[in-house]
Amino acid sequence: MRDDSPAQTASYGRRAAAYWFVDGLPEILLGLVLVVFGALAMLWRIGGPGQLRRFDFAVFFAGIILYGSLGRRFLDFLKLRFTYPRTGYVQPPEEDEWRVETMTTLDLRHRPPARENVTSFHLRTELPIVFVAFLWSSDWSSGGSEIGRWYAPLATIALAAALYGLNRRSEHPYRWWPALILALVGLAFLWVDVPGPLRHPLPLLLAGLWLAVQGAYTLLHYLRANPQPQRAEGVKA
Amino acid sequence: MTDQAQEIAQLDRMIHEPARLTIMLILDGVSEADFLYLQREGGFTQGNLSGHLTKLEDAGYVEIEKKFKGKVPLTLCRLTGAGKAAFAGYSQRMMGLLKGNGSAG
Repeated sequence: MRDDSPAQTASYGRRAAAYWFVDGLPEILLGLVLVVFGALAMLWRIGGPGQLRRFDFAVFFAGIILYGSLGRRFLDFLKLRFTYPRTGYVQPPEEDEWRVETMTTLDLRHRPPARENVTSFHLRTELPIVFVAFLWSSDWSSGGSEIGRWYAPLATIALAAALYGLNRRSEHPYRWWPALILALVGLAFLWVDVPGPLRHPLPLLLAGLWLAVQGAYTLLHYLRANPQPQRAEGVKA
Repeated sequence: MTDQAQEIAQLDRMIHEPARLTIMLILDGVSEADFLYLQREGGFTQGNLSGHLTKLEDAGYVEIEKKFKGKVPLTLCRLTGAGKAAFAGYSQRMMGLLKGNGSAG
């Protein structure tokens, strides 16, 4: 099995950029948000009061907004307890700092490209998911017409392809076979009859589960490889 | 003394030492890093890293700040403006030397 950990990449800058993903926590958090709020949206659609059931997507978007506003703070909280005491803390430069550099000069320094920064998670992983979620809300705005059974398989396969393809050349690529599994699970829903209103959240729920499982695997691997140190490190300088 | 020898003599010795060059390389690619991260990335012992950081701090190249994130104590290190400028100068001089010698292209 190929090891995609930062230890396999060459430059210090790129390793620092990849460090954000070393513990799997960003995927676990995003995955759990998608699963929990996707499930809540489904429950709302099934058991919500009257006409308000149509606002199931709003329940899901409440989760996305919560994740957008508090996610980073919560991740910092988790990393302070799991990651920084084990392997240290590093803050890559914000992406904007790299963007202003338009000229490439020849020198010893490692300049990670802008796209390799910590914000690549927003662009490469969160954005495709939010895009699929917007399809859901646009369906409501067009009158809430029931979608065909092809939607969930197609959207799940598209999500699997997007998550794999967009991250392929990043510091944090997903392996091809988990992406294939996600696509095949999505495809299976061509033959499994899901009630119409629940077809929209299904790809998001599957993608969330996929992310959470991958994050959990990375976290277990990380915790096993980096046991909690006995005492805090410090500089005597 | 040849031009190349003069160029070599002008290299910043504070940075030229391998351990300190490693520290500068790591810090140049990040906003800030803590002691443990530097130690692991550079493969330093605690005492070795501490000594080199002190020298870089005394030279005004590195800023060291001890603070708490939550309840976790972190010793944060980052390059100062002078450190960035010195490292950029060192880097260009070294690349010029290697290029002039046909060792880099």
